[in-house]
Amino acid sequence: MLFPTVDFAVFFLVVFTGSWLLRPHKIAWRWFILASSFVFYGWWDWNYLVLLSLSIGINWFLGLAVFRSLTPEGERTNASRWLVRIAVVVNLGILGYFKYFDFFISTIADKMRSIGISVDAPILNIILPIGISFFIFQAISYVIDIGRGQWRKPLTILDFAVYLSFFAHLVAGPIVRASEFAPQLDELPDPRYVRSAEAFMLIFRGMFKKVVISSFLAIQIVDPVFANPNAYGPLAVLLAIYAYAIQIYADFSGYTDIAIGVALLLGIRFPQNFDSPYIALSLQDFWSRWHMTLSRWLRDYLYIPLGGNRGSKAMTYRNLFLVMIIGGLWHGANWTFVVWGAIHGSYLVAERIVKEKWKGHELGLPPLLVKAMQWFLVFNVVCLAWVFFRATSVDEAFTLLGRLFASSGSSAGVSLLLIFVIVGSVASQFVPQRFPQKAEVWFATWAPALQIAALAGGLVLVDALGPEGIAPFIYFQF
Amino acid sequence: MKGKSGIPSGGRSPFNWRSLFEPFRPRREGTMPAGLIIVVMVLALCVAGLLDADSTLRKSNAKGDGWRNEIAKTVASVTDTLHINFFRNSIDDALGKNQGTKIDVEELLRQQAEAESAASAEAAKKVPELPAPTPVTPMKIWVGGDSITQTFGTSFQRITQSTGIFTPTLDFHVSTGLARPDYYNWPEHLVKTVLPANPSILVIMFGANDGQNMIGADGKVLERTSEPWMAEYRRRVAATMDLLKSPDNQRITIWCGPPPMGPGTKTRGMDQMSYIYWSEAQSRPWIQYFDTWPFFSDSNFVFAANLPNADGVVRGTRQKDNVHFSTVGGDRLSWAVIDRIGKLVDLSAGRVTPPPAQAPPASLVERTEIPPSMPGAE
Repeated sequence: MLFPTVDFAVFFLVVFTGSWLLRPHKIAWRWFILASSFVFYGWWDWNYLVLLSLSIGINWFLGLAVFRSLTPEGERTNASRWLVRIAVVVNLGILGYFKYFDFFISTIADKMRSIGISVDAPILNIILPIGISFFIFQAISYVIDIGRGQWRKPLTILDFAVYLSFFAHLVAGPIVRASEFAPQLDELPDPRYVRSAEAFMLIFRGMFKKVVISSFLAIQIVDPVFANPNAYGPLAVLLAIYAYAIQIYADFSGYTDIAIGVALLLGIRFPQNFDSPYIALSLQDFWSRWHMTLSRWLRDYLYIPLGGNRGSKAMTYRNLFLVMIIGGLWHGANWTFVVWGAIHGSYLVAERIVKEKWKGHELGLPPLLVKAMQWFLVFNVVCLAWVFFRATSVDEAFTLLGRLFASSGSSAGVSLLLIFVIVGSVASQFVPQRFPQKAEVWFATWAPALQIAALAGGLVLVDALGPEGIAPFIYFQF
Repeated sequence: MKGKSGIPSGGRSPFNWRSLFEPFRPRREGTMPAGLIIVVMVLALCVAGLLDADSTLRKSNAKGDGWRNEIAKTVASVTDTLHINFFRNSIDDALGKNQGTKIDVEELLRQQAEAESAASAEAAKKVPELPAPTPVTPMKIWVGGDSITQTFGTSFQRITQSTGIFTPTLDFHVSTGLARPDYYNWPEHLVKTVLPANPSILVIMFGANDGQNMIGADGKVLERTSEPWMAEYRRRVAATMDLLKSPDNQRITIWCGPPPMGPGTKTRGMDQMSYIYWSEAQSRPWIQYFDTWPFFSDSNFVFAANLPNADGVVRGTRQKDNVHFSTVGGDRLSWAVIDRIGKLVDLSAGRVTPPPAQAPPASLVERTEIPPSMPGAE
């Protein structure tokens, strides 16, 4: 079920009403939310529910087994370490099968062909269940947190099932930890004080970003140019690259906004996932603002176990680079994602080296100009990496980048409106948070009839400005 | 006030409709009681549903929502009577959306038949014999269709241009086909815009967006791939093919069937549509059906995203959505179509030998007969 659809609107009305009516009854409420989440996920394909149920059952069992194998003081034991390893292997095995099997097999077959050995690769054309990466990562974090003694209260299977399958974050995050979610299951939020203004604003903003901005940019310039870069000239290609940076932000953060807003209406607070990433002045800053829950996951469950910055500088750089490569591969089985990760990893390393070398040095330039230069550099590096993220192959990405220096080519799709949308979208990230917050508070004081009119008008406007039909969110494929 | 379970009960004062029109004073900043939120959400959705009824009906018609379609029809009928759809329609007018006219394909055909002489009708019984294009007298070639043609067509335009004997025109429209003339009226576009430019060859591809319900001639919704749907789709295909006939039998249309779609895509009925295109083309010599299926599938005719070109190197032929072509796929199909054109027209004056890195292997051939249901179809 997609968020910006009539189906979801009706579904959510039922869930909202049922949830607040059942909230005082803890067990009934949990069953209701679980059933709702299964309906939401099964709406795509009921077969997916088998995998989700298996993931719930296996990880709940392993979490409990890990907890029981800890010492009474919560210290790790050999058994607990092995059980955690098993959990990680099982989860990554599931992810690997669905996500990387075909890629792995075809890569080997290609290599063998290149040395003259012809093989008929057993490609399975496996269909990737929607959102698998997100719930698998949540499951891994749960078992590891127990194994580390950081989460001392294994969930009941019902609570764990609700945690893993909660429909608002199930298919594209945010990646929520048990320690953030589970305590909220036991809380009894006051139905008199539902944060409606913030939730409505988030939902509307998310829909506008997804349905209007993201779709417009995709149709107007991104899809045509990335599909056939050779036909386009430098201006169209440059704008397509910038437009994709906005498109993927609008699409993914739009989904997250809706997810956070929907959960908020049910009295559950998710962690923030985006914080104006395109205002970042360094790539490290960018990663503290972009897909924040994935960055946090990679830091806690990959970067730190690899040694983090506890070893030599060279080891820190290696760890940073590795984490970004693996983060790239998490997005999908394609060399384009590896290159994307490598660009981010290399730049993060370079950034650290430069910062250390230049510590205490002054450029002698006005601070504002330095900041502007930093912003420009980071934004363009991020956009450059997005080219590989979006392209079908590394070759196509280089073809597209090569067109930036072409002497001719079409400018189809380039318009003042397109430039306005790109510039406006970047500029909007510089608007201080206090302004939308003030708007929320003001909106909450409107007469309910006025709120109804505004919400209805907003929905009609989004539908009218958007294209016919709603494209799936980009991050569903991950 | 606390309920039995200790949770605040949310206040049990009777609901007062007048309070909806008074400024709201939240007890805590930015909040509202859950009960009032339900009222706001339900009413907002109802108002939006009424204002947006026409758009909802269009989408519902396309998707074939069953009982939901009946509701959408009823709501749209009410809003039409009360002129509540004025607001949304004004926005659409301002944006230039949903301007599809009610042009009647039958009327276009009737006009064409009136203009057609008995001699030209006789001539149309043979495959058109077109003069060989040369660099001095290049041939006008038009390529168009839906978003799949966007990638294929861009390759095709570039490659035909490079041969030196064609003057290509690319004309694609995203999300279009023959199922939704209200959204984009291809027959009208072909007659009013494309044919007056007098291209000698048209390369056309539809289908990927047509696996949706249609409104039949009697206004009834036809369930996709049902028998009545098939009959109506066949009628539209046949009529469009007839419109493409030239009075002097000096125009060939290469009608490309859709390629197989990969896993995870939501396109439906591509094989049945291919069968309709192929079977209708059999009785129309000016239409040459081109079977794209073998060029994007393995030896068992099952979808394959990565395929070897004539140089033996395996490359990705599709975009990540497993629907649209990559540049490699676009080039591959373009050379295959040019090869097919070369069998109908003398292209020897042009540079039509494909680079092995771009062309499909010579062993791949179109099928001469398309089965009604293909192996590996979704």
